[in-house]
Amino acid sequence: MTSVATSTRFAPAALRKTVLEMAFHGATVHIGCAFSIIELLSVLYRNHLHYPGGNPDAEDRDYLVLSKGHGVMAQYACMVELGWLEHEKHVKGYFKNGSDLKGLSDSRVKGLEVTSGSLGHGFSVAVGIALGLKKKNSSRKVYVIVGDGEINEGPIWEGMLFAAHHKLDNLMLIVDKNGFQAMGKTDEVIALGDLGAKLRSFEFSTLEIDGHSEAAVDAAVRSLWADGTSLPKAIVANTVKGKGVPFMEHDNRWHYTRLNQETFERAISALGSGAGELK
Amino acid sequence: MRDAFSTTLVDLAKNDERVLLLTGDHGYALFDEFRKQCPSQYINAGIAEQNMVGMAAGLARLGFRPFVYGLSAFVPVRVLEQIKLDVAHDDLPVVFLGDGAGFVYSHLGTSHQSTEDIACTRTIPNMVVMSPCDRFEMAACMRLAYESAKPVYLRMGKSDRGDVHTAPVTGLAVGDLVKVKSGANSGITLVATGSMVKTALAVAADHDLSVWSVPSIKPIDEDTVVRIAKDTKGVVVLEEHSVYGGLGSCIAEITSERSPVKVLKVGVADRFSEHCGTYDYLLEEHGIDAVTVKRKVDAFIHDVDAR
Repeated sequence: MTSVATSTRFAPAALRKTVLEMAFHGATVHIGCAFSIIELLSVLYRNHLHYPGGNPDAEDRDYLVLSKGHGVMAQYACMVELGWLEHEKHVKGYFKNGSDLKGLSDSRVKGLEVTSGSLGHGFSVAVGIALGLKKKNSSRKVYVIVGDGEINEGPIWEGMLFAAHHKLDNLMLIVDKNGFQAMGKTDEVIALGDLGAKLRSFEFSTLEIDGHSEAAVDAAVRSLWADGTSLPKAIVANTVKGKGVPFMEHDNRWHYTRLNQETFERAISALGSGAGELK
Repeated sequence: MRDAFSTTLVDLAKNDERVLLLTGDHGYALFDEFRKQCPSQYINAGIAEQNMVGMAAGLARLGFRPFVYGLSAFVPVRVLEQIKLDVAHDDLPVVFLGDGAGFVYSHLGTSHQSTEDIACTRTIPNMVVMSPCDRFEMAACMRLAYESAKPVYLRMGKSDRGDVHTAPVTGLAVGDLVKVKSGANSGITLVATGSMVKTALAVAADHDLSVWSVPSIKPIDEDTVVRIAKDTKGVVVLEEHSVYGGLGSCIAEITSERSPVKVLKVGVADRFSEHCGTYDYLLEEHGIDAVTVKRKVDAFIHDVDAR
């Protein structure tokens, strides 16, 4: 397994650059939603997700379920690195008429496990996959990323009850707690209160971490799988909506705002040299 | 009919360990045999239908063959978006069993009554919609639903009205209409589904009319519908479902395009039940009891002949 410190694969700045390019070429939104999960995806793809033969459809794979479909550009960026998507066709051609990649997760794209964007769907599908893997005596894992706003949805809580009751310890719920939902701060729309305590009370083995620290994400994933309990796992990842580009951080307008040439160039240069050259 | 459902499900599950039964905490006595014979294939998802359907999609993605059971007011209506997005979008093989459709729960009121389920499911791409009329069609539909490996909504309405067929229905294919009575009078023809096939037979006897049962509402063999339309002056469609979007609409859609004929839709008008009472009482309240239907059919015969 590659160590966190030395690998340049799935470098967060490079992933963010791909997201910006897609958003610019496609004249699309949801940049902030993608930026908050970059390090989470980076660590999962680099160190944890197992795809035999590099095949996104491999039967004996781990499952990454993006329930918060709005962050899908972050996953596309990882899939470009994996060679599952092409820069010219999918990044520069994002949102072209007749193209395949949509603005929300669509399971017909190889590498995406669910169709989401209507919120509160992917989590239940992930619970079903975890249950099915248990029934098949498979040791593969299921990671499911939900947004903190998405947790407003009832099926999330239904699924948590089920997962705990059935001891689905192959399931890891990762909450992207960026503190915002569509219309404002989660604390002001529907406050989640002490989310970690809520998850623990639902009998999820839970860690709360800085979701932008790759080392912290990696350590949390490892320690939860090794926690010796039969509880499902949860990570509350404290994140920043728009992370990585200072003028986007904590600014919910980047849920909706499209890039123009000027903001695109400013955003790219804000990523710094770690992002690599523009292709 | 419920016995046929249970027996067929147990049989399918015993022969294929991929078959799973998910229930939203419903079907108390109905699943005794299944739980006894296939305990590891039984999942009570709790009173959480949305999560249940999402899980069924996840299980189907791994190769399982989930049968998802609920009252038809909840499965499919409450979980329509999960069916659309999690299951039908990817054409996953999940069978939804909606029990108690129509006015079966006549005393319980609107929450448990279901007269919009066919309309809701029929518009979802990839969905197959089935509505058997007796235990023989039920067994045949269950097998077809399993063999089709498609997303299927199987509607189970009033189940104790007795047999329509005299023997097991063999050779049924998805889309087939089944002629259950040949009448000498071809002036009008009755086309019915589910519980209303019995009503159609009762009404047809007076005038010696032909009656077709429609166990497969979507897809439906349009050529047979056109043939029925060409051979008659008027088609009466009977269903314990809204006149909007159900079998009546389906027949009207096909005939209006391919073989215009006068269609009388006998079903539930655009209204909720007003009162509480027996099943028969409620059919009467909605004007779909045998007496009222006979009156409507008589008037329709007159109308068609008078044209």
